Amino acid sequence: MNKKTEKPIIAILSLTCCEGCQVAIFDLGERFLEFLTKVNIGDFRLIEGLPDVSKYDIAIVEGTAITKEQQRRLKIIRNKSKILIAIGACACVGGPQEIKDYRGNKNRIIRRIYPNIRGIDNPNVKSVKEMVKVDLEIPGCPINKNEFFDLMSKVLESGEIPEIPQKPVCEECPRKNKNCLLLLGKPCLGPITLAGCGAPCPTSDFPCDGCRGPRKGINLLAIKNVLKVKARLKDKEIEMLFERFGEKNEFLKANKKI
Amino acid sequence: MKIRIDHIAKIEGHASFTADIVRGDIKGARVKIEEGARFFEGILRGREDEELPEIASRICGVCPVVHNLTGFKALENAYGLQIDETSILLRKLMMLGQLINSHALHLFFFSLADFFGFKTDLQLINVYPESTHDAIKVRDIGNKIVEIIGGRSVHPLTPSLGGLRKAPDSNKLKELLNDLKNNLELAIKLGELFTKLKYPEFYRETSYVSLYNLDEYAIYNGNINVGKLNLKPEEFLLLVNEFQGPDKVAKRTKFAAKTYMVGALARLHNNRENLNPQAKKLLEKSGLKFPCYNPFYNILAQAVEIVHCFEESIKLLELLTIGEIKISLPKASKRTGEGIGTIEAPRGTLFYSVKIKEGIIEDLNIITPTAQNLANLEGDLEEFEHIVGFKDLNREERADKIKMLIRAYDPCVTCSVH
Repeated sequence: MNKKTEKPIIAILSLTCCEGCQVAIFDLGERFLEFLTKVNIGDFRLIEGLPDVSKYDIAIVEGTAITKEQQRRLKIIRNKSKILIAIGACACVGGPQEIKDYRGNKNRIIRRIYPNIRGIDNPNVKSVKEMVKVDLEIPGCPINKNEFFDLMSKVLESGEIPEIPQKPVCEECPRKNKNCLLLLGKPCLGPITLAGCGAPCPTSDFPCDGCRGPRKGINLLAIKNVLKVKARLKDKEIEMLFERFGEKNEFLKANKKI
Repeated sequence: MKIRIDHIAKIEGHASFTADIVRGDIKGARVKIEEGARFFEGILRGREDEELPEIASRICGVCPVVHNLTGFKALENAYGLQIDETSILLRKLMMLGQLINSHALHLFFFSLADFFGFKTDLQLINVYPESTHDAIKVRDIGNKIVEIIGGRSVHPLTPSLGGLRKAPDSNKLKELLNDLKNNLELAIKLGELFTKLKYPEFYRETSYVSLYNLDEYAIYNGNINVGKLNLKPEEFLLLVNEFQGPDKVAKRTKFAAKTYMVGALARLHNNRENLNPQAKKLLEKSGLKFPCYNPFYNILAQAVEIVHCFEESIKLLELLTIGEIKISLPKASKRTGEGIGTIEAPRGTLFYSVKIKEGIIEDLNIITPTAQNLANLEGDLEEFEHIVGFKDLNREERADKIKMLIRAYDPCVTCSVH
């Protein structure tokens, strides 16, 4: 058999989002070029405009399906892919575009921006797994390119789906033993957020705001109490913080049942 | 005859194109934006002021630095906050890094293949492996600047109201300075590649809009130049008309009822006297004459800017690596007011106008470069039958040329729908 045909067919696809996760993949630089030699590209609009192929071994999807066309496309992508990997906060937890769904009348919000709202799709924003089956989620806003590269290498080598260890961001945080932002009174969501990012935010004195969504078995009541006492947040402010990347519903789902 | 291009590859985001050709004349040229609306201007209302730059940076993953900084600039303008010199230098450096990485992506991976008739970059990479590695190296340096100062390359973390929340490590800045010096030649080499290309011949007069500053190649502050006019940002915004395009989700703009162009070519028009020496030399070598009303030369203009940005970064880093880096973070005494932030994003001038009451965002309007360029691009496409050799092209070749022009503008569809 021709060796070339043994390479897996990969598609890197984008729905509505900032495309920062594709940029992060590009930012791998030389490692990205090396990645290209190990796969056949089925669809990747950032580098090619060739006709689409009929099957993908692996589809990597960023963004949320907002327009009807995108919703239709996502189903087609699922049907033609052996493995579907959702990347980034939008695909995994909804992204900032989901904020509107937590903020009351969403048509009122769009009327303030567009004089003519006919023809503008405004559905409730859903993560990819709320629409189709997802085999692996690589979360983050943006994804951690190194984590992406490692996980993809594992998928390519073994064909198996790796798991992201269920640890909090605090475990990767350089401030965990001193100058913990939460203890300093900053609204940091490190304790309830899934690690794997390498904690770039607290490293830059920026409190974690949960873009990767929850780890399993979090205690929401406990973190809310700490945010109230240490960071002096009010209930409404806590709710708004949880909404920032659309992850609030995920936090509620991951909450430990007592 | 109808021309229809369903998916325009190698641009940021999703767009398609339709037009009719009636007796050799292009009519009804429309770039249709195929992206879902995210309503950033709506979801930010009622949220805290400092969430603006953080959330708005998510408008675009290709130019997050400029969205983030323009958000902060609008707030600082509203609160009358003065930023210290060092923080401004650091912010400017981040922007230079952003311009380098965004331009390198567009020049090499989006536009170059068009000149060789390749449908995919994989061909380009195979035929020109050395240039590919050069382009990656140049882009990496842009990323590294943003990473070292901003905390990471996509969606920066350190910018803060009044300056930066954290100063970069001075050893890393020294390392960066060395990297830039060692690779300036490479940036020039990459630039020279773009001076040798054969650009399609097309001409349509327009107004070039960009920031303008007497003392420097303006990217971070200045007034707005519109052709020969020099306006304060608030004056410009009063005269600009922002309206919904035929595709509903993306807005367009006109100035005094006319289309205009923003971006690298506009900046060269308004500011080229302030280019750094090597960039100036490259521009001279290219033989480009001004005024230049051929939008395809936006590609060459970006190549010249990459060299300028390398030189400028070296200049700023030489200042920043003299002693210890000290930055201060002034506090706003009041958190109520109206403000405008402007910046030169890789694709052109970006505007944020905000109204804040007691720290809460009451109103927000964002005008992105692509929203401004769309009407001008459609104006060009409407006249596109005048491109030299158009009547001899077959259907597919015509579609390829149209795609090539759209890419030359480097449109960012994700920015246009925010």
